[in-house]
Amino acid sequence: MLTWITDFLYSVIKLSAPIVFATLACDISRQAGVYNMSAEGNMLISALASVVIAGMFNSVWAGLIGGVAVGVLMAAIIAYAHLIGKTNMYLTGLAFNTAATGGTVFVMFMLCGEKTSTNAAIRSYTIPQIQIPIIDKIPVLGKILSGHYLLTYVALISVILVWFMLKRTRLGLRMRSIAENPQAAESVGISVVKVRYISFLLSGLFAGLGGAYMSMAYVSFFSRGMVAGRGWIGVSAMNIANGAPIGSSIAALFFGFTDTLSVSLQAFNIPIQFVNMIPYVATILALVIMNIVRIRREKAREKARLAKMQEKEGSAVAH
Amino acid sequence: MKEARKIEAAFEIIRIVASLAIAYVVALLVLYFVSDEPVKVIQQFVLGPFSSPRRIGSILNLAIPFTMCGLGMCFVYSVGKLNMLGDGIFMFSGCIVTFLGIRLGTLGLPSPVLWVILLLIGGLVGAACMYLPAWLDVKLGASVIVVSIMANTILSELSQYILQFQMRDPSTSYLASYPLDPSVSMPKFFTSSLKIQSGILVAIAFLILSVVLLHKTTLGYKMRMVGANAKMARAAGMSVASTIIIAQLLGGFLAGMGGAMEILSNYTRFQWTDTTGHGFDGLMVAVLAKKDPKYVPLTALLLAYIRIGSDVVNSSSSIPNEFVSVIQCIIILLVAAEMFLTKQRNKLICKAAEANLKQEAQSAA
Repeated sequence: MLTWITDFLYSVIKLSAPIVFATLACDISRQAGVYNMSAEGNMLISALASVVIAGMFNSVWAGLIGGVAVGVLMAAIIAYAHLIGKTNMYLTGLAFNTAATGGTVFVMFMLCGEKTSTNAAIRSYTIPQIQIPIIDKIPVLGKILSGHYLLTYVALISVILVWFMLKRTRLGLRMRSIAENPQAAESVGISVVKVRYISFLLSGLFAGLGGAYMSMAYVSFFSRGMVAGRGWIGVSAMNIANGAPIGSSIAALFFGFTDTLSVSLQAFNIPIQFVNMIPYVATILALVIMNIVRIRREKAREKARLAKMQEKEGSAVAH
Repeated sequence: MKEARKIEAAFEIIRIVASLAIAYVVALLVLYFVSDEPVKVIQQFVLGPFSSPRRIGSILNLAIPFTMCGLGMCFVYSVGKLNMLGDGIFMFSGCIVTFLGIRLGTLGLPSPVLWVILLLIGGLVGAACMYLPAWLDVKLGASVIVVSIMANTILSELSQYILQFQMRDPSTSYLASYPLDPSVSMPKFFTSSLKIQSGILVAIAFLILSVVLLHKTTLGYKMRMVGANAKMARAAGMSVASTIIIAQLLGGFLAGMGGAMEILSNYTRFQWTDTTGHGFDGLMVAVLAKKDPKYVPLTALLLAYIRIGSDVVNSSSSIPNEFVSVIQCIIILLVAAEMFLTKQRNKLICKAAEANLKQEAQSAA
């Protein structure tokens, strides 16, 4: 039982990592005031690119760098369409994801003559697993926390870095001020287009890392549609914490848990469909709650304003 | 002023045609570069869909669900709400209709009655599903696009649950429902080589209804008004909330009926394990038709033609038909790009205005 629990928790972390990357990709755009839903497609493209580039150069690191570079490039294309071409961002995200689903199958077939997976055609590479010195000696905890793929730890560090960037750096402040009021930010000399471009590229970086994780750590090949909604779960997690990196990463961890649950229940004849629904139901509930709170707050503010006005009038009459 | 408006209207059409042309040229270039026999493949992509009566029939049949979903999207989009729930509704309605279709056959009702009942149920299921995002949007201001995309997955999972646990036929080796009763299947007509689904009549009927509703009734006027400027519509005393909800429900009804019709015409069992992408196709059809129902059949046929072209290429060479999704993406992005060809349009409008001013100055002198 204990080994089952440690294995399960190890899997939770393993399955959460790509969701955390997707979440960060969505967060960073959200913080700059852009609703970017392209993580699903971008992860898919990066996953294929990693495998292909790793196979081409016979190096896992070339694959990782190449996959991330492709992710950033894709984000640059989306940024150009939205910021320069002025396309609707929702439409752009949807169109991009659809194109990625078909486009990756097309490219995979052209490169290795297979329509389902690159497994047979391209030699697979895996990002190394890392034993953390002291922690891996701790009895139960070591088995859960140590021995993950390098990128899992990168995901964890990224959450902190993104939080720091947003809260403590000039770029982060600019992003948040643009999200708050782009015209005001523009009027004090901040280039909205430039800062949003940077946020798109960073978002592409995380989507690229998430894609590389899928095809070089989670499994060691590319198969069609392998991201399987994780990009959308990233959108969900982002929504739940309204783009705050730490809060939404905790949500991502929870969705990693439900994902693991659904994988481990698959063997039994249990309706796992309801487990699969959890992230999406949670998002709708979170949206409902957030909006109720927002409306309440606005009403309270309005009431306070009215009361103040009445008070003023009252005192004016008294004088 | 008048000239400027004329130039703007002309440029709207030019933009769409140019987007289609660019995407089509990209498709041809891709085919040219990836194929060993580029001339043959391109010929098949362009002319293949017309090469046999069967294929022409396939274009028409494929355009039927595109038309239904495109019309639905016209309503949804007419009030300015980008609601993608059509995708999930198409699958879920198909699932529910199958569930009922398996059982209703034993009642011994005449087939036409069954078709009407099942199509209506499909539509009503769609409208009911649409209520959630529409209501949340109107009441709470929860983003309709996010809620609809999340709800899509919920509907998809729900359909898969019903398929696997409520109507799975254990005698099939693959995941499929019990077969539909033959009496509920909708017939095809014409000759054996050119088969057209009877659903085409339903699609035509709803096309006419949609054109009338959106452009000839007060409700349709309200919808377009809300879509153009919700604040102004509210100031003019229109009930924006109920107009938005009605438009979304109509969209859901059409998508749901499309899903039901697809199952009753083309399938003997329910076997979808993922959404079919019809919601996105409907979006493309509506965007290309500029949200005007009367252009929907045209754009639906165009999309069907491109799809069948890619299928022909797929079946006769080694090139997979998935490249079409990239073409669709390019078309949507170009049509959606406000800046695409805007410079050229503004230049022309400026020129016209200048010419106008000159004329006025001359006539004044």
